[in-house]
Amino acid sequence: MTNSINEIRGADFLFVIGSNTTEAHPIIAMEMKRAVHRGAKLVVADPRSIDLTRLAHRHLKLTPGTDVWLLNAMAHVILVEDLIDPVFIEQHTENFEAMREEALKYPPEEAEKVTGVPAEDIRATAREYATTDKAGIYYTLGITEHTHGTDNVYCLANLVLMTGHLGKPSSGMNPLRGQNNVQGANDAGATPIFYPGYQRVDDPEVQAKYEAAWGTELSPEPGMNLNVMMKTLGKGIKGMLVMGEDIVMSEPNTAKLEAGLNNMEFLVVQDIFLNETARFADVVFPASCFAEKDGTFTNSERRVQRVRKAVEPPGEAKADWSILQNLANACGAGWNYRHPSEIYAELARYAPRFSGISHDRIEKEGGIQWPCPDSDHPGTTYLHKGGVLRGKGLFTPVTYRPSAELPDQDFTLILSTGRTLYHYNAATQTRREPGPHGKQPEAFVQIHPKDAGSRSIEHGASVEVRSRRGTIQAKAVVTRDVRRGCVWMPFHFAEAKANTLTNDVGDVITGTAEYKVCAVEVAAVHV
Amino acid sequence: MTENTAILNGHEIRFEPGDTILTAAERMGVDIPTLCHDPRLKPAGACRTCLVEIKKRPKLAPACATALTPGMEIVTHNERIERHVRTLLALYLTDHAVHGEASIVSEQGTGNKLIDLARAYDAPLDWPSLDNIRKGRPEDVNPYVTFQPEKCIACARCTRYCAEVESVSAITMAERGSRTTVFTADGRSLMDTTCELCGGCIDTCPTGAMTEKKPLLARVDSSKALKKVRTTCNYCGVGCQMDLNVDPDGNEGRGKVVKVTSPPPGTTTNDGNLCVKGRFAYDFIDHNERLTTPLVRGEDGKLHEATWDEAYRRAAEGLIKVSTQHGPNALGFVSSSRCTMEENYLMQKMSRAVFHTNNVHQCAAT
Repeated sequence: MTNSINEIRGADFLFVIGSNTTEAHPIIAMEMKRAVHRGAKLVVADPRSIDLTRLAHRHLKLTPGTDVWLLNAMAHVILVEDLIDPVFIEQHTENFEAMREEALKYPPEEAEKVTGVPAEDIRATAREYATTDKAGIYYTLGITEHTHGTDNVYCLANLVLMTGHLGKPSSGMNPLRGQNNVQGANDAGATPIFYPGYQRVDDPEVQAKYEAAWGTELSPEPGMNLNVMMKTLGKGIKGMLVMGEDIVMSEPNTAKLEAGLNNMEFLVVQDIFLNETARFADVVFPASCFAEKDGTFTNSERRVQRVRKAVEPPGEAKADWSILQNLANACGAGWNYRHPSEIYAELARYAPRFSGISHDRIEKEGGIQWPCPDSDHPGTTYLHKGGVLRGKGLFTPVTYRPSAELPDQDFTLILSTGRTLYHYNAATQTRREPGPHGKQPEAFVQIHPKDAGSRSIEHGASVEVRSRRGTIQAKAVVTRDVRRGCVWMPFHFAEAKANTLTNDVGDVITGTAEYKVCAVEVAAVHV
Repeated sequence: MTENTAILNGHEIRFEPGDTILTAAERMGVDIPTLCHDPRLKPAGACRTCLVEIKKRPKLAPACATALTPGMEIVTHNERIERHVRTLLALYLTDHAVHGEASIVSEQGTGNKLIDLARAYDAPLDWPSLDNIRKGRPEDVNPYVTFQPEKCIACARCTRYCAEVESVSAITMAERGSRTTVFTADGRSLMDTTCELCGGCIDTCPTGAMTEKKPLLARVDSSKALKKVRTTCNYCGVGCQMDLNVDPDGNEGRGKVVKVTSPPPGTTTNDGNLCVKGRFAYDFIDHNERLTTPLVRGEDGKLHEATWDEAYRRAAEGLIKVSTQHGPNALGFVSSSRCTMEENYLMQKMSRAVFHTNNVHQCAAT
């Protein structure tokens, strides 16, 4: 997020796209609702009717995967009606003309045909966004889980830059991080192209710095991203250590993934439960949950906060940091961290944007938002104040590309997947809890009444959902919340893994898989 | 005197347009008692505990719902006000079950602000009791929230929170007069309403009328001192701060999380709020399916319990063998956005410095 969470309540216009905030980020949704109660205008762009659309002033119910058309058409309106911020564009951006030329190919009337959103709604939204001073964009995986996820993000960035909605309170570009420490995991360098703090592995100076720090030679060759690794299991990747993720539940195209895991030479799994992936493991390490260890999580607004040990882990289970250290030492490393604060200190020493943060300082001051380059720096509540961080904000012309797998004669419906309020990802934690389980005990698929009717599917009936990659069963929820031609499923249920169906084709740049669009067919199950 | 100044207890104070007497007083460190006030909610002026004296006004006025005006002269504490508060608290107590306070699981005072205030103001606790005729919902099967109507003072904090902050209006004030109570549509269980089980009603209730079922069902000894450990929620990316309430003797001395509470409003990013997962979904910590020993696959193809030394040795040998036979890039390291920053740092360091490959990533990519 370029802004802070508590700036949401001060916003006058909220554009929420590809985020079912109430279910995935309930506390941020509370802030949005408070903004609306205070008088802010809320526009939600989502293929489904969701809780926030009850409160929204306008709902842009677009066809899944057509975001580029919608967003370019909004840019079109802002350009044609001259609602841009010419001073900001001149001082703080580059490549405006190229973007302009492309965006002008997306008039709202044409966009209506592709997206299903009325041209007048596109116009009104573009006008309100451009002309409201405190206007913020909020998005999450509905934007990124596409083969053109990066394109979607560029389109949003174009809107932000052309209207100068950046570097101010309550006004910016705000991806809401899906998991507790997505931000921190990336910050810490658990990515194939970056050392901690987004320092590139193929930058010789950075490489030399870490070679000196760690006393060993390092590879300048960028590694495989997760999407690529998962596709080459048993072939390119023959040995793997998996910590704290149930890849069998969470990664797309389950059948292919399981075949790959069967062909692995060696697999180590480290988790708190014997998860689905552990079935394939050679060694399983019993790990600790957040209540049993010390450390930090970094939230969506870049705030580094403490995780504190409250209880001892069960049996012989150990904290993950301690397991990793012992394993590294068994492999010949000579690590000697006595406490996570010493690990954080090493991380901060070589990554300038975190250098001012330490466990001691968080203990005294509470969570600190990076960038925070030195110990006197107060941290940063919103980014890009007084100018764009990279120097000039880069406009990117974006051409619409359809999703990788669209409906055809055999698979006539678009499936999107997602999270619900009551469960969390593979649900190893939440399905062991009576409240969430009581509210939502089983897998379901939302389907439009007309699509259900033409297939003789009744509300509550058992149905079979098929894609080119597999078949699962779920309960039909017949509802107008989804568009005609679209169905939606949560991915929390091990006995009906939605990822059996999903397509493992990834975004060209990030490798993020297209969980939001694949072609399926739904049929009644006759018992 | 300039435009936006007023006199509070004889001191000149500056204020912003729209500030109430209560917010200005809190800023100055002047303590005004309240029951129905929650900074997250619109002022209700319902409980009358915060009444103050304003010069040239014959009646006392609620500090929470009275906006400051230029030149206003306010007195927050004097004999008249204290007499009023004392009487008011005594009246509330006639309609409130004073007995059985010990059954509330709490760490400060009684967990019941009405009783705490009554003690502070020396209000009589022994005025004759009314028969409490408020309806509850004893048959509500939801696993988390229980409502004890005999402790309710109808301040409507819970129902206002449900409408204004959580915006689901699952509970509402029902009936009139002394029958006024907190109810759901048709008296349904919260499980069958729009309730999202956030537990904000428990958090905001000043008297413990809305309380948590879990510690009651687990028979947590209410006299026992619980240890509060401030930490960060492990679910989504909002980073809510929460206090794990730990029974240090639980789980044979390992400690047991018996309740999760939120820090006071205004102190952390989540402003005193939590969702169903953060506040209630902690049973997994002590679940009997937790892994408690290392496992190593044996020659029979099954996983067997092993010592840590054996597990580390097997894991190290297996990874090194793949690296030696197929090169470092035949290894992959899948880190986790569920784990800490420090653990992610060690995972990438292991991949890069121990095995010389950049094949390290985590689920945040997908």
